[in-house]
Amino acid sequence: MATNKFFKSLLFTLTIAISVFGFSVENSFAYPVFAQQNYSNPRAANGKLACANCHLNQKAIEIEAPQGVLPNSVFEVEIKVPYDLSRKQIAANGKPAGLNVGGILILPKGFKLASKNQISEEVKAKNKGVFISPYSTEFDNILVVGPIAGKKHQELIFPVVAPDPAKDPDVKYLTYPFYAGGNRGRGQVYPTGEKSNINAFGATQAGQITNITTGEKGESQITIVNSEGNSTSQTLSAGLQLLVKQGDIVKQDQPLNIDPNVGGFGQEESEIVLQDSARILGYLAFCFCLLLTQIFLVIKKKQYEKVQAAELNF
Amino acid sequence: MSIIKKPDLTDPKLRAKLAKGMGHNYYGEPAWPNDLLYLFPVCILGTFACCIGLAVMAPTQMGEPADPFNTPLEILPEWYFFPTFNLLRVLPNKLLGVLAMAAVPAGLITVPFIENVNKFQNPFRRPIASLVFIFGFFFAVWFGIGACLPIDKAVSLGYW
Repeated sequence: MATNKFFKSLLFTLTIAISVFGFSVENSFAYPVFAQQNYSNPRAANGKLACANCHLNQKAIEIEAPQGVLPNSVFEVEIKVPYDLSRKQIAANGKPAGLNVGGILILPKGFKLASKNQISEEVKAKNKGVFISPYSTEFDNILVVGPIAGKKHQELIFPVVAPDPAKDPDVKYLTYPFYAGGNRGRGQVYPTGEKSNINAFGATQAGQITNITTGEKGESQITIVNSEGNSTSQTLSAGLQLLVKQGDIVKQDQPLNIDPNVGGFGQEESEIVLQDSARILGYLAFCFCLLLTQIFLVIKKKQYEKVQAAELNF
Repeated sequence: MSIIKKPDLTDPKLRAKLAKGMGHNYYGEPAWPNDLLYLFPVCILGTFACCIGLAVMAPTQMGEPADPFNTPLEILPEWYFFPTFNLLRVLPNKLLGVLAMAAVPAGLITVPFIENVNKFQNPFRRPIASLVFIFGFFFAVWFGIGACLPIDKAVSLGYW
């Protein structure tokens, strides 16, 4: 376990180091890793999922799951993360890029990710290149996926195996709530509190824009001089479309660029029944007896009507 | 082909009852035992099947443990309180909101007194009462839907 954790943290550090130092241009990512590092439980007590702390836009998602499942059965929970495929976001380097998607599925305790040999071929084919992992060793009932290319994967399929109350005394045959979140596009805030470049940046002070210069990497340097002659300069990273031009008078916090955020995070909840097959069989038997009783009652009535007709005394 | 008894119009007792708008149980299919003994249990057993079916297929959900220090993201009462809940949050003055909620049962109490002026039972013959009902029903459904939407759409449902 300990070595496992060590390797995991090593891996996370490496990933982040690589993306921070810019060895990879592919870092236009949403990061379940960020949540995994900072939140032991991604679902706050009031129901808010941790993803919403960095992905500030709200966009709807849909859940598709079976109404009930039998113990030990493998089933799929689908999170639909629809978005307009023609929209582009800007990557961390300022270049336009397609949106990525990611998802989180918080299952009831005891439900786990299905192992490879349990998943059907059809789902395997659909989930090619999608790596779903448990959130942590403590919460293996929470599954995360992403970031993956949203072009192919607007539907995230989680193969899940249901627990068996016969083996696990903590699990009962009941209806359980489960929660899902889905995100498309990059986040607005890093866990450290820094803003990402997917933001509308406001003017640091009120005043007139005296100078806008574009750097060699495409970033714009905006100089604002206020009425007292104090000048501030702020840098807007590459790829942002400016709303202002030289000579404009801006108020404090007036957005200087068009909000590039085309993504958003959504969360939903639904419920699933852990069903006992003996209950269903019992219910079917009960229904059969009931149906017989009803039929016999009607037949008896018809018989008695004959008596009434014969006696004509009612 | 159920057993039907014809009204015996030569019977002066029945005629007297019919004149008063009563006596309908003197003819037609007898209630006992045809309906009460044989057909009522069919329906009762049918409702049993529905209730037990729900209990088996969709058992009551185990909710999350309550936490008094924790406001949920979405605050909503039970569904039958949606319209009054919406009234309460839409009205700017809380006293006004409480009075509006109290006006619902208060209005219902007046119904038997005002309604009695009209001697007909047929809803088409009591246009005012029917219109009040229809308006109240649509208002309740409208505001009930509004309760589930953000506050800026609570009244308009986003239509204007």
